Amino acid sequence: MNTKKKKGFSLGAYCYVLPAMLVFAVFLFYPFVKTIYLSLYKTNKMGEAKLFVGMGNYIDLLTSASFRNSLIVTAIFVVIVVAGGMMLGLLGAVLCNRAFPGIRIFSTAYALPMAIASSSAALIFKIMLHPSIGIVNKLLHLNINWINDPKYALVCVAILTAWLNSGINFLYFSAGLSNIDESIYERASVDGANAVQKFFRLTLPGLSPIMFYTLVVNIIQAFQSFGQVKILTKGGPGESTNLIVYSIYRDAFFNYRFGSAAAESVILFLIILVLTLLMFKAEKKGVSY
Amino acid sequence: MKKKMMAAVLAATMTAGLTACGGNTTNSAADSSADTTAAGSEASTQAVLTESGEGQTITFWHSMGGVNGEAIDYLVKKFNEENEKGITVEAQYQGNYDDAINKLKSAQIGNMGADLVQIYDIGTRFMIDSGWVVPMQQLIDADGWDVSQVEPNIAAYYSVDGQLYSMPFNSSTPIMYYNKDMFAKAGITEIPDSLPKIEAVADKLVKEGGAGEAISLSIYGWFFEQFTCKQGLNYVNNGNGRQDVATAVEFDQNGAGVNTLTAWKSLYDKGYAPIVGRGGDAGLADFSAGKAAITLGSTASLKQILNDVNGKFEVGTAYFPKVSDADQGGVSIGGGSLWALNNEDAAKQAATWEFVKFLVSPESQAYWNSQTGYFPVTTAAHEEPVFKENIAKYPQFQTAIDQLHDSKPESAGALLSVFTECRTIAETEIENMLNGGVSPEDTVAKIAEQDNKSIEEYNLLNE
Repeated sequence: MNTKKKKGFSLGAYCYVLPAMLVFAVFLFYPFVKTIYLSLYKTNKMGEAKLFVGMGNYIDLLTSASFRNSLIVTAIFVVIVVAGGMMLGLLGAVLCNRAFPGIRIFSTAYALPMAIASSSAALIFKIMLHPSIGIVNKLLHLNINWINDPKYALVCVAILTAWLNSGINFLYFSAGLSNIDESIYERASVDGANAVQKFFRLTLPGLSPIMFYTLVVNIIQAFQSFGQVKILTKGGPGESTNLIVYSIYRDAFFNYRFGSAAAESVILFLIILVLTLLMFKAEKKGVSY
Repeated sequence: MKKKMMAAVLAATMTAGLTACGGNTTNSAADSSADTTAAGSEASTQAVLTESGEGQTITFWHSMGGVNGEAIDYLVKKFNEENEKGITVEAQYQGNYDDAINKLKSAQIGNMGADLVQIYDIGTRFMIDSGWVVPMQQLIDADGWDVSQVEPNIAAYYSVDGQLYSMPFNSSTPIMYYNKDMFAKAGITEIPDSLPKIEAVADKLVKEGGAGEAISLSIYGWFFEQFTCKQGLNYVNNGNGRQDVATAVEFDQNGAGVNTLTAWKSLYDKGYAPIVGRGGDAGLADFSAGKAAITLGSTASLKQILNDVNGKFEVGTAYFPKVSDADQGGVSIGGGSLWALNNEDAAKQAATWEFVKFLVSPESQAYWNSQTGYFPVTTAAHEEPVFKENIAKYPQFQTAIDQLHDSKPESAGALLSVFTECRTIAETEIENMLNGGVSPEDTVAKIAEQDNKSIEEYNLLNE
């Protein structure tokens, strides 16, 4: 904190911050504190805090098999979505990084998932994946009940989400690629580097700042996925796609147990907080600006 | 150090946004006191219909989208144009049943809700307990309206302690749909009326009738409840939650749950009833596509099924199947009913009642039935030409009416405050049973354990 110098109290500076702080206070800080408060209570049918249980909700959650299952399912889901979404985006961006006829059509196609609402995509996938009338089984000559079989349901929802997220990733990576100086590739060619070497030695390190940003955003986004689950599987079959956010929704707006839902929110907050902190730590090693 | 701080702050803001999503919807609910309930039930005993409702504007919340929503809009428009008292009804679509009841919960805290709301069957206990409503019986009595016009088996569901709490409006029952062509091809003349009988003809349907699967049975909590009803047994204790607030489920004690799931699992294990998904509509696609020979569904789905099948084959309808051949029970109704909210405004209350009377009039109900496939809740609607035309066009609908008349008011079905949750629990555990090979006994025990825990907690927190 070496930059901290003694300065006089400046009212003007606080006035500038005030509007932003007000918005934050109403939409972030108040709900946040309220969530923590509610997580210590059991609520009645109106969602009013009724019975103080202290850490009771947390203990119930951490000892419940259903919540542990949600944690595991969410972890698998996030890994598939982040890895899949980023790879799809990167692949598209690298392919579209050179000029050829029709490049605009391809670029638009790769970026398009960004413009599709998760719910409408889920509705379309629901029809495509239908065991008897869906096109996926027809094309693959399979008879798999994709979204009603616990083996496939999670993967289906995750792949759908990865594809949806790939659009915005494509955009980020395209922007990142255009920032890499062309001349370093030319120099590498003169030195006899092949395409693979160029990709791993020049492209990836050049992309690392944007890669880091995309990773952080993707992880948070993956944790927040909701519409697909609600429409495709409703957390089922069994509880095989019961992601934490969906389970929060069910607890809060179906079962009207805001206490337990608030506790789940707080746990999710802590998980994402820790993950993000770890990533910012790792940033120093892996990212070259 | 500074960088570390930055990282921490950045991380915290990013994640705080996420948690806030879960939190901000609750804040409005938590501030008001718990006394609203008590105050509401006291006020609901006030004198009703002291005014005529002339010139009032009332708000009507409903949950009917699509074709059904258009039918509602038509009825509302008709009422607004034709009623002699100058009453204006503003109909507002509030999303599906779950959304509507949740919005109502939030709105009632500020007492800014509607005058009349449409609530689903399983919200009945909640609405009675809420103390927000004027029991429909009070309005009926004050006006001297003849309550026997209402189909008795439908009225039975919404009556507690001899009081009709809400006016039935869109009522349906589950029925069995079958592919007549497949049955003819397989040479089956006797339509099965129980799960074991379906099992007995299943092989024939697949091998000779050309069905891909014998029955497309969606995993739906409503069906689980109806199978209990068909056995003439209670779902929850205290007389199915009708004599007093239910304190525990009963289907685990009286054998109803195990009977149902044993028959269900047997159909699945033999490959006759593959998993087709969760919820009321999940089984319809296989049937309409001509893959499944049989499906179970709501009477309200009849129109849709006939549209989807579009003459590819002949659709037959039969009673909802029994669990075993000896069962004597009937079906209970589902769907929604109209609740008058107590806004302490006698004039609006009178206007609300006028509108309710209009909606359940034989003419409106006949129109409603022909547009949607819900029952006409007033028996006199059967005499309307619109109704007669409709039943001539869709004779399959007669099954639904016969089935309802054959059921006794005793199979009115359970009332339970946490029904939505229990329904999901049942669906989840049935899925686990089919996918994970859990025994019916263990499945029932698991459902009952979770149900009871949730009932107990609800009763503790909402005394």
